[in-house]
Amino acid sequence: MVRATLPLCALLLLALPALAQEKKPPFRWGTDPTGGAPFIYQNADGQYVGFEVELAEYLAAKLGRESVMVDGTWANLPQQLNKAADVEKGVDVILNGYELRKDLVEQFGVSRAYYAYRVALVSRKDGGVSGWNDLSGKSVGALGGTVAHDYVRSHHPDADIQLSEDVANVFKLVNDKRMAATVQDSPAAVHFLKEYPDLTLAGEPVKAGYYVIYFRKADAELGAALDAAIADGLRDGTFRRIYDKYGLWNADQEELIGLLDKPWPPQLEGNKTPWPRLLGELLRAAWMTVKLSCASFPLAMLLGLAVAVGRVYGPRWVGVPCGVYVEVIRGTPLLLQLYALFYMLPVFVQTVSPDLAAWFTPFACGVLGLAINYSAYEAENYRAGLQAIPKGQTEAALALGMSKWTVIRRVVLPQAVRIVIPPVTNDFIALFKDTSVCSAILITELTRKYNELYNFNRDLIVELVVITAGLYLLMSYPLALVARWLEKRLSKS
Amino acid sequence: MIRVTDLVKCHGPARILDGATLTAAPGQLTALVGPSGGGKSTLLRCVNGLEQFQSGTVEAFGHTLTGGQPPTQPALQKLRRAVGMVFQQFHLFPHLTALENVMSGPVHALGKPKAEAEQTAKRLLARVGLADKAGARPANLSGGQQQRVAIARALAVEPSAILFDEPTSALDPQMVGEVLAVMRDLAADGQTMIVVSHDVDFARSAAVVHKMVAGKVVQSGPPDAVL
Repeated sequence: MVRATLPLCALLLLALPALAQEKKPPFRWGTDPTGGAPFIYQNADGQYVGFEVELAEYLAAKLGRESVMVDGTWANLPQQLNKAADVEKGVDVILNGYELRKDLVEQFGVSRAYYAYRVALVSRKDGGVSGWNDLSGKSVGALGGTVAHDYVRSHHPDADIQLSEDVANVFKLVNDKRMAATVQDSPAAVHFLKEYPDLTLAGEPVKAGYYVIYFRKADAELGAALDAAIADGLRDGTFRRIYDKYGLWNADQEELIGLLDKPWPPQLEGNKTPWPRLLGELLRAAWMTVKLSCASFPLAMLLGLAVAVGRVYGPRWVGVPCGVYVEVIRGTPLLLQLYALFYMLPVFVQTVSPDLAAWFTPFACGVLGLAINYSAYEAENYRAGLQAIPKGQTEAALALGMSKWTVIRRVVLPQAVRIVIPPVTNDFIALFKDTSVCSAILITELTRKYNELYNFNRDLIVELVVITAGLYLLMSYPLALVARWLEKRLSKS
Repeated sequence: MIRVTDLVKCHGPARILDGATLTAAPGQLTALVGPSGGGKSTLLRCVNGLEQFQSGTVEAFGHTLTGGQPPTQPALQKLRRAVGMVFQQFHLFPHLTALENVMSGPVHALGKPKAEAEQTAKRLLARVGLADKAGARPANLSGGQQQRVAIARALAVEPSAILFDEPTSALDPQMVGEVLAVMRDLAADGQTMIVVSHDVDFARSAAVVHKMVAGKVVQSGPPDAVL
């Protein structure tokens, strides 16, 4: 027995290292595929392509590992490095147009630059923006939390910056004359200028910095391997071949080769936001949250009331559409409704009257979208309230000779209002927080501002979260108090 | 004059009213008696237009409802201003004070100015003995007081007749008296009234008593003859 098993064990032991070598872990790279062309995007076949996809595949091949794309949201990609690599959404590196920045270099390991980008201003050929000095008071789209965003807000503070993660849509808005200009990294500008012939570079793109790959500080070995692969790729023309395919190779990239012999990373300047400015910006954003809520909720209540009354008292041809309205609005996401209002509807309106399309500003669409979405919930609240009033009340009022509408207005509604105060207050507080969804249509409200500030001040994450949460609470708690007071006052009578 | 002719009201297979006929003369107290389920309340509700009926007619002070023909809103409003109603469960508006309850008809149904309506309401509250309860909410009034406010509310639109649907059935025994006293007082003043009542004593004070059984008026005449 012993004689037979020993050689077997020896054989197994010999095979183990070979097994281990074959099982090299995949090269998991984090990216935000919605960030768009030419970095990473879906081609007509639904496959992810883009110069960063090819770059990642080149690097993975160099490392002898399999390339695995892990998607995330751009602003939070660095956070994904704080988890292990082999868990769900875990990554080895992040590679998605992330700039060389002091705050990130302090926290993470950083590779050599794989691309030198500029910040480009793009506008319509026939628009009012033909250079960097025309931005005052103009709407300027930018990707929140990027160096491009920071560049506009520090160099052109009087521009009306509208943030969006959806770069493709921002270019479309500029093309549709709904936004004056956009500041984007040069690769995006190059790509979309090809797509929109009416757009042009306004002024000279400004040299801004480098795209780098971030990894865990502990993964120094991986970092060295990445640096070697980048150096090889730059020197042997692989990078040039990839970049040329997307029209991205230029003199700036030639300079990267020269930088390979210099120490890396270079001395970096941080741009920390001082506290008074941080607080000021948060408060201004909170004010936007208040404005959105206070403008939209009364509208939602009115609209909801009309729908509820139509549903409860209207004839069939009114009641049925009201019911359909409630189900459709309640059954589709707010985000989608905002997109439809802001991106889709104006396209139709524009064919009728271009002037009318100008009314669809982010704020107007935000207020309208919130009002419509919440009106469905309010309608159901009111319907419950109306139906809770005993039939005898209506009969007594009718018997006095009041008209049907007078009965509803003078007898049923005042009683129903008392019943629905708690659920309606509940919805108002919910709406307060749902205003953050409006950041999807370029409105900078509190949550979006928090995201932006956190992007530029990653060492203040705890402070910023606490302050932002505190501001929300500070806004919603008084509401709860007012509602309680109202309830008490009305229940006394 | 209220004249009900051959009223038929069906609820599914059940004939709640089965050819009921009666008249109520102006200035008189008319009582409607009979066992439960005989159709007394339904008949009153038909007269006020709160229920629709299949055939027959209701004529009240020049307004006519015809069975099988849904009345228009304005026609119903006119009829109801002529024929008021007091309910078993009072149905005061809980969000309004006693005074506002009484004012609600003149203000919201007749469009009278508030000041004038308030004068009327105060006078009527005094008449039902509740001048001191003008500011009270229904929740703070006893059943008897609530029903007296309801009577004042019905009076406020100055109807030609008032229908009383078992006005004392929901009351504690000790409160029945105060409501009946108010009603007797109204009758003495010549207010046209039709009262559905189980109270035999009160029915005795009526000019005419109609007895209803199984949806028909089976007997009509002076109290002594019917009761």
